[in-house]
Amino acid sequence: MSFLDIDKLSAFYGKAQALHEVSLQVQEGEIVAIVGANGAGKSTLLDSVMGLTKTGGVIRLGDQVLTGRSSSEIVKLGVGYAPERFNLFPYMTVRDNLLVGAYTARDDIAHNLDMVHKLFPRLEEREHQETSTQSGGERQMVSLGRALMTSPRVLLVDEPTIGLAPKVCLEIAEVLRRLQREFGVTIVITEQNANFALSLAERLYVLESGHVTASGTVEELRDDPRLAEAYFGH
Amino acid sequence: MLQILIQGLLLSGLYALLAMGFTLIFSIGRVLNLAYGSYLLIGGYVYFQFSQVMGMPKLAGVALAAIVGVVMGIAKFRLIVKPLKGDHVAVEISTLILAVVLQAAVVLVFGDSSKILLPIIPGVKWLAGTAIPYSNLFAAIASWLILIGLYLFVRTTHTGRAMQAVSMDPKGAAISGIDSDRVNMITWAISGALGAVAGVFFASYTQLYPGMWVGPLIIAVAVVIVGGIGSIIGTLIVAHIVGFMEVIVSAWIAPELRGVFTMLLIIVVLVARPRGLFGREEL
Repeated sequence: MSFLDIDKLSAFYGKAQALHEVSLQVQEGEIVAIVGANGAGKSTLLDSVMGLTKTGGVIRLGDQVLTGRSSSEIVKLGVGYAPERFNLFPYMTVRDNLLVGAYTARDDIAHNLDMVHKLFPRLEEREHQETSTQSGGERQMVSLGRALMTSPRVLLVDEPTIGLAPKVCLEIAEVLRRLQREFGVTIVITEQNANFALSLAERLYVLESGHVTASGTVEELRDDPRLAEAYFGH
Repeated sequence: MLQILIQGLLLSGLYALLAMGFTLIFSIGRVLNLAYGSYLLIGGYVYFQFSQVMGMPKLAGVALAAIVGVVMGIAKFRLIVKPLKGDHVAVEISTLILAVVLQAAVVLVFGDSSKILLPIIPGVKWLAGTAIPYSNLFAAIASWLILIGLYLFVRTTHTGRAMQAVSMDPKGAAISGIDSDRVNMITWAISGALGAVAGVFFASYTQLYPGMWVGPLIIAVAVVIVGGIGSIIGTLIVAHIVGFMEVIVSAWIAPELRGVFTMLLIIVVLVARPRGLFGREEL
């Protein structure tokens, strides 16, 4: 059985259906990328795992069912989320933003803070800065850091590179790799940038208008026209 | 001059306490709780009943008022705000109605004549030709201590940070594992306690009467509108602006006009700077 198992997930915003019976499996310790154009439903998919949308279908993490639980319970069960718009607390310091992430994982604060500072030394230097005054790259770091403070077993990252300079993208990719290698975190990212996804993930899912249209390993999909289609849209 | 300074400081400390409970709810729950004044009303009468009529120790009376405030806050959140989730106009109308109903209940139980609260600490200190009742001094100092405690709570505890988080970005708070309903309920409880204690102090400044919820509500609304939401320090500063303005107006122009200028200030700020003096962009 897979670690994170999404089975026939449908998601709705009001009456509009954003996802149609999406099924997706992630093994423990893996990096999986969900690739798709703008509006394909990538953010909805991750929001649904967090319990933030109305859904049909079943989502499991390990032996726990996540569907029907509140976001706060889902975080407690081990899902960390760095959303596309970061959703940081703009008038709180970097350190306080990270500490909010520790709300359900108070016993791990010292350990997790140490890990975040190792991965992002800049956050330790800037710990007293308000996040409203930070650059996009720094906010992405705070957002990932805050998600890590929840002691996640699986980390969801929505569009880690959107709007960031190429050099920062490389830094973020390196951090995600280290998280997998050194800390054993399972990672699911979404990407519009197929090249970034191909360079980071082991397996990919292609999402188009709320349907999974292709899936496989990086080797299998590298030259698949469906990947290019999803990448460029229609 | 010194008179005005002393009276202004004493009154402003009380106004800061009075407004804080209202600002908290507005910043975190995004709800205009028009029944806020009834915490002051009920708090004042609870203190009157237990400490003055039944003769319990005064501090026990204040503590009981705070407890009743907590219960009222939680009940309001559970029974009105949560079921009406998201419908701000409905919440405002029902809280306003609730305030009127509570006023009627107070009239029924205690009658509609006003009562004088005995001072929490009797005695008067003369300073620079001004009589400063010890109970006003006590109210001001106690207000400051409560506000400092609240500030430290919001800044340094997990629950306090969660309150800030919910106010700044509800989705960000949810994905950090914060149950916003729980945080909201705690905020309503704190707000009720602050209002009820402020009510005891306010009633000992003025008088205890069934209509006393209106004046403090206007002051609280003024502080929120002039200060803008989301800032404890902003609330403190504006409470002093309003407090000093009232003292100066009563001393130099006419005591009857003190409240009028507060209301004019609300309108001027609404027109000139809708976000308030210290309000933040995205909130």
